[in-house]
Amino acid sequence: MYNAPMITVRLPQRKKELEIPGPRRVMDLLADAGVRPTTVIVTRGKKLLTKDHRVEDGTTIDVISVVSGG
Amino acid sequence: MKCKRCRRAEAAVELPSHHSAFCPDCFFVFFRRQVAEGIRKLRLLAPEDRVLVCVSGGKDSLVLWDVLIDEGYETEGLYIDLGIDGYSDRSKEKVLAYAASRGKTPIVVELAKEGVPIPEAARCARMQECSICGTVKRYFFNRVAAEGRFTVVATGHNLDDETARLLGNLLHWQRGHLARQHPLLPGADGGLVRKVKPLWRVSEVETAAYGFLKGIDYVTEECPMSGDATSLVYKEALSRIEDRMPGTRIVFYQGFLDPSNPLRKGPEAAADGNMAREDAPAADALRAAEGDGEGGAGPPQVCVECGAPTYTETCSFCRLKERVRKARSLRVARVSR
Repeated sequence: MYNAPMITVRLPQRKKELEIPGPRRVMDLLADAGVRPTTVIVTRGKKLLTKDHRVEDGTTIDVISVVSGG
Repeated sequence: MKCKRCRRAEAAVELPSHHSAFCPDCFFVFFRRQVAEGIRKLRLLAPEDRVLVCVSGGKDSLVLWDVLIDEGYETEGLYIDLGIDGYSDRSKEKVLAYAASRGKTPIVVELAKEGVPIPEAARCARMQECSICGTVKRYFFNRVAAEGRFTVVATGHNLDDETARLLGNLLHWQRGHLARQHPLLPGADGGLVRKVKPLWRVSEVETAAYGFLKGIDYVTEECPMSGDATSLVYKEALSRIEDRMPGTRIVFYQGFLDPSNPLRKGPEAAADGNMAREDAPAADALRAAEGDGEGGAGPPQVCVECGAPTYTETCSFCRLKERVRKARSLRVARVSR
């Protein structure tokens, strides 16, 4: 059976990877992943994405937490 | 979304707190101006300063080093290897790689060689890792700076760090700490080197974006010892407020730093009438708390063990080292029985 390509959302610090059907805006993908937008940067390759950026199916994005503690 | 500065390129960084969005090139200009403004406003650095930049391998400290180099300051990096399995090696690797990319070789202090690797020291002294880490780092920041004749120590604390600390101090009415909290900790006679936090105006998102866009390869994993850090709770609370009311954090902190703020005129800050800088709190009172983690007024004394400046007979680092040494001897004695 054919699997339609989806958006891959990688959360390396949580060691988690999600597959979400697109197209979706970055802010919607973050909501789906349960991540607050002001605590992360979102990247695709060497590009930084704004929260209103539309992501197409077949794309992989990384969600990097920026919160440091201690 | 277009860049609000050049109005041509696609925006890469959106900053609701500044009602703005920038393309990478314009964001670099914005970010450097924010840091330069923070330095200028509180007179943190002078062009002739020799700056010891404390680098952990994380985004904030490496970005700080990067900006200071680009701004033309004379800098050297100091990396403290905390002796945490795996994490310390990976952090050190990032620091060495970044330093090499800028033609630098950082000064490295290995806590295992100094007899106080953080995990073991915490176990032996029965203290929290973050607390011990703070004591040990402050000690070596100052010692390396004094020995290397640096005029100032710079750390990568950002707006989120400073406001989280401020919120914690306010919630617990730590009046002494409130009176002393400031991005500038003036130097004092007796070997205490000035300490500054040039990133106090920029947020964690901004430093992360700057690091990413500049291609700085930093450690993204958190210190495994910091999971229970209370600062994370305060950060989350402030971040939720910032979500709903962008710009609250900088207003909160700038209002706190206002010289007319009565909270900043506690007994410690008022003790020294000789205010070297308009916005700067009293040097001795500040250093009494931050330099050695002890209270006290007047210039520091000399530690009887190591000669470091301290407000007690033996500095907190030497006391810690002694506790670790005693716990080790006890353990060895139990095993050999």
